[in-house]
Amino acid sequence: MKTPFHLDEHPRRPQPLAGPPAGYFDRLPMQIMARVQPSAPRESTAPGWLTALSMPLRTALASVVVLGGFTVSFLLSPTATAPAKAVALAQVPETEMVQYLLASDTRVSLTDLADLAATDRALTNTYLQASPNELQDALDAQPTDEIYL
Amino acid sequence: MAIPLPPTSNPAAPNPAPCLEDQEILAKFADPASRNVAFNQLVRKYQQKVYWHVRKMVIDHDDADDLTQDTFVKVWNHLGNFRQDASLYTWIYRIATNECLNFLSSKRRKFFLPLNDVGAELSAKVEADPGLAGDEIELRLQKAILRLPDKQRLVFNMRYYDETPYEQMAEITGTSVGALKASYHHAVKKVEQYVNEESHHD
Repeated sequence: MKTPFHLDEHPRRPQPLAGPPAGYFDRLPMQIMARVQPSAPRESTAPGWLTALSMPLRTALASVVVLGGFTVSFLLSPTATAPAKAVALAQVPETEMVQYLLASDTRVSLTDLADLAATDRALTNTYLQASPNELQDALDAQPTDEIYL
Repeated sequence: MAIPLPPTSNPAAPNPAPCLEDQEILAKFADPASRNVAFNQLVRKYQQKVYWHVRKMVIDHDDADDLTQDTFVKVWNHLGNFRQDASLYTWIYRIATNECLNFLSSKRRKFFLPLNDVGAELSAKVEADPGLAGDEIELRLQKAILRLPDKQRLVFNMRYYDETPYEQMAEITGTSVGALKASYHHAVKKVEQYVNEESHHD
């Protein structure tokens, strides 16, 4: 029969588990000291004046720079140069335009005219600064050959 | 689950004044010029006690290493607020105890493990520990201790292995001396019962 186990009769081992690796307690203080020391400040790539600003000020400055970039890109966009193109086109003599259209291999077809209706009417209006009588005279002056219609 | 950590001591227990070396450490720590030297001295003085206190609770060396380091980092961060009406050793022990209990508690929450599964994991680590190889009774004893609830295991370890006075245990755990005596008594009975049950199964 086995003897019942009694704790007070059992030889007590203060550290029953295997010890830590050799030299552990020599290294531990250094590891802990390394954790509690403040890390050295990192080299900053930002200019000195920028780092001197407070964080809210830097955020506001960044927002202003981004908005300024948008504004500049909007002002320099191609739509801003459209009036200049219209002025240049208006300076072309009417006779030269007619000659170009007559001489060109590409004839103006009804499909082209249908597409023209879908274009920007405001742009067209800039060329039609004429009275109904003037328009009638201009149409009468055009050749009546059906081939060109 | 963690024991609350006010720097005050248990009113039922005597307030042991810091020993001379501790007073010297605290005085040097208060001076920024000698703070590192003082803390290094403190770590070297208490590192083994803290490590083994933690190790007996979490069994695994790597876990014990992490928790020991975390304990001393907390000591560094809060030593300036330490009220010298309690023993420095008790205060450090209390931080280490909280670290252990929080670690075991978070482990259960993290993996949704019930009590027995964490116990089984620790038991497997005990079985693999080379320090217990060949000592069947000691292995049974360790596995029986691991079946105790965390706080009772803590009480058992402090009393049985470290022979910590009940008054000091009361300061560390924030529990009354009477409750600790009862807890230890029940722990011993349970451990003996577990070991005997295991012996009968073989």
